[in-house]
Amino acid sequence: MKDHPLSNCEEKFVLAAIAENRRFDGRGVYIYRPIVILYGHDRGCCHVQIGCTRVLAQVSCEVIIPKQTRPNEGVLHMNVELSPMACPSFEAGKQSDYGVEVNRALERLLRDSLCIDLESLCIMSGEKVWQIRVDVHVLNHDGNLIDCSSIAAIAALSHFRRPDVTVSGEEVTIHPLDEKDAVPLSVNHIPLSVTFAFFDQGRTLLVDPTDQEERVMDGKMVVGINKHRELCMLHVSGKMLVLQDQVVRCVNIAAARVGEITDLIKDTLEKDNAARKSGKEFGFAKCLADVILGVDDLLKHYVDSMSVDTTSVGQTAKTVVDADGNRVQMEVDNAETGNVSIKVPGTGKMSTNTEGGAVTWCEGEESDSDVILLDKNDSTSSEVSSKQVSAVVELSDSEEESVLMTSQDLERTELSKSRAIETRENRGGRCRGKSFGGRNRGKRGRGNGQRYF
Amino acid sequence: MEDSIGKVVIPGDILQNLDEKKGKIKVTVGPGLIRDGSHIAVTKSGILRHREPSVFWVDCHQKRYVPARGDNVIGIVTAKQGDVFKVDIGSSEPASLSFMAFEAATKRNRPNLNVGDCVNAKLLVANKDCEPELVCIDSYGRSSGLGILPNEGFLLQCSIGLVRQLLRNKFNVLTFLGKAIQYEVAIGMNGRIWLHCHTVRETIAISNAICRSELMSDEEVQIMSKKVVDSLQGFE
Amino acid sequence: MSCLKQSNLRGFACEQSCLTRSDGSATFNQGETTVLAAVYGPVEVKLSKEHVEKAAVDVIYKPKVGIPGCKEKATEQLIKSTCETVLLVALHPRTAVVIVLQEMQNTGSLLSCCINACCQALMDAGINMRCLVCAVTTTVDQEGHIILDPTSKQEEDGKAVLTFAFDSKTNGVIMTTTSGIYSSQEYQECLLSAQHASAKIFEFYRDSILKKLSRVS
Repeated sequence: MKDHPLSNCEEKFVLAAIAENRRFDGRGVYIYRPIVILYGHDRGCCHVQIGCTRVLAQVSCEVIIPKQTRPNEGVLHMNVELSPMACPSFEAGKQSDYGVEVNRALERLLRDSLCIDLESLCIMSGEKVWQIRVDVHVLNHDGNLIDCSSIAAIAALSHFRRPDVTVSGEEVTIHPLDEKDAVPLSVNHIPLSVTFAFFDQGRTLLVDPTDQEERVMDGKMVVGINKHRELCMLHVSGKMLVLQDQVVRCVNIAAARVGEITDLIKDTLEKDNAARKSGKEFGFAKCLADVILGVDDLLKHYVDSMSVDTTSVGQTAKTVVDADGNRVQMEVDNAETGNVSIKVPGTGKMSTNTEGGAVTWCEGEESDSDVILLDKNDSTSSEVSSKQVSAVVELSDSEEESVLMTSQDLERTELSKSRAIETRENRGGRCRGKSFGGRNRGKRGRGNGQRYF
Repeated sequence: MEDSIGKVVIPGDILQNLDEKKGKIKVTVGPGLIRDGSHIAVTKSGILRHREPSVFWVDCHQKRYVPARGDNVIGIVTAKQGDVFKVDIGSSEPASLSFMAFEAATKRNRPNLNVGDCVNAKLLVANKDCEPELVCIDSYGRSSGLGILPNEGFLLQCSIGLVRQLLRNKFNVLTFLGKAIQYEVAIGMNGRIWLHCHTVRETIAISNAICRSELMSDEEVQIMSKKVVDSLQGFE
Repeated sequence: MSCLKQSNLRGFACEQSCLTRSDGSATFNQGETTVLAAVYGPVEVKLSKEHVEKAAVDVIYKPKVGIPGCKEKATEQLIKSTCETVLLVALHPRTAVVIVLQEMQNTGSLLSCCINACCQALMDAGINMRCLVCAVTTTVDQEGHIILDPTSKQEEDGKAVLTFAFDSKTNGVIMTTTSGIYSSQEYQECLLSAQHASAKIFEFYRDSILKKLSRVS
């Protein structure tokens, strides 16, 4: 899918507005859009919104064999998915250049800065370690994906609890959550990223660019830093040259912003923990319900638990089943025993395209029709000249190279039909045919215009 | 059907049983309504509208544009292919615009249109089976407001419902704002609005006001426009 | 004779137009189960998937954890066939309708929540639909009692899970998917109770649209 193209007048206007230090939402140049952090029902699930940009992160854990070069350390695996719902130009499955950029930035920020103590994830050295997997899904792209993803990832990691493990000698017991309380990950520090967009060859810069601003910017710089002013990551991209004093200036601004965001994360984590402990409701549904009841937003609707009137269901169901049962019984009684009764002359056809599909029954098509069902050992088998075999379906993988073949344009004569039935009856329902694709054993069964696919 | 005019309808609602009415009736159904055997059924959720004598349609707040013949749209040129420009109008297929479809265009006198320019055009051919075609002249050969939009100004993307609301209501956010601010506007039925004011500040203010007025009632729109005008003039 | 143990649907909540980039979007909550659906359409389609006489419906379902596998593909196919029935695809040939679903929280009845979110998002996008669709999940527990809108624990403990999708015009069944063992009596009871429940869900859809457009003149 294509996103709508950027027109010249739009580009010119946005650049003119930025030159006057005006932004569309009326923000200052160093101000973030409102950040909302919500936690889900599961541990390690976090949803972050910066303005209209939305990201969902989920942390999960698994026991794996550690790397040979690092037998004492667990593994932190980051996966950022740019979902097509975020932007029409993102493709599902394939990771674009931008996706790789976001992925690598997040890996360097979280994994390489050692924000999680990997040695604490070791269960048994060289044999069992925890693999912590962080899946970040981008839900809506309105600029500044790297910042939003970093907040979501680190908040989810701080929110997550892994199952408790006891090791006694060679035995390792992983306790389920109802037996022993889950254990939090040991988070050393909270690294966050701040994105700067550069315009006019570096003379103007903006913090937290929206999608519109990102499209017209010259380049961007992403600074990864924590509250203690320790730089974790620096990433510059785009077509511009960055001066040394600009980098220092950006790092200072980033340190200030990161301090505020870290406080916000800690605040929301505490609130969520308190809600869980005190037995109150928590999760996305609760947050949505709160918002609806608090503010009269026309786009949100909420209804409490509803009961469904199912008093007559049992009786009605019994009536239906009985009626159906009577009908089936009547059909069974009326059917002739011992004969295969074909209600309507026709052919059972397998799907002819290689992807599979529905099996259909086609009503009688008469005249020179032939059947390909043929036993290669049966010397009395008639000459079968099927007109067009458009596809072949391999049904059984028995050692005998016998494959049931039917075709979409298959037509039967009366003669071959009865013989086919006889053949089927004699052999208890299994039909053999020519082998598919492989060696052509003789000329039997091959007629005019027969094609093997 | 007459009882539901101005009310909200959802897909699957059956509006009129044609068998019931005796004699010949001629009913024209527009977007959002379809003839389903002997009924007229609703296919989009929105408000049922009516125009004399018997034209009915559903106003839906959708974002994606489906081309319809005769619509005035604002397109963005994406490519030049020989004698034809490929213009993106927000539909599933890019539309084509011939270089001869401009006022006073000849084989030698080609329009000065580059990739990325905005153009105000009318849909000449638009049906579900063909590629849409645009023209920038009317049947008399005059431009009558159509043509290339200058590079000054801002292109705003909004929903189709909002655009129809702006064009339908006589008193809308644009008229309220126009009493105090001077601006030039071109409205495309494909959800694009080209806006040009004297200053950047005014343009930003008006575009924000337009976007916010979508689900508001008339009174709320009036109050909001007044606030916007006050804040702009307060600083001047 | 089996009887209904739980005939309560958990509280519903929905939010429309929650995403700005897609043509239509909706978040649907059934109790604690939350699914976010986004719809694009009609958009351009790749030549390989193009149909000359109708729109190609493409469903992408993304689980929260891990890479999508076979189970997700099966869910996508079910939702695709349900949506193809209700969308008027013949009105937009050589285009595609792309539906993207994201699992946000799963505490049971995930498939029915996905289909409900899908329907809300399609309504929000304004794509021509023949009628609305809703889905209800039911479970038959070990004693043979029917449970409507089960939680994950109830689904795991039960001996069968049945999901039905209904259309709003005739309340007929569009899609059925089941797993587990159940008798015909139990099947009919599940079907009928799900049908009764679907009426409530359609009412909810109507109310949410009425609320959204309540101030528009």
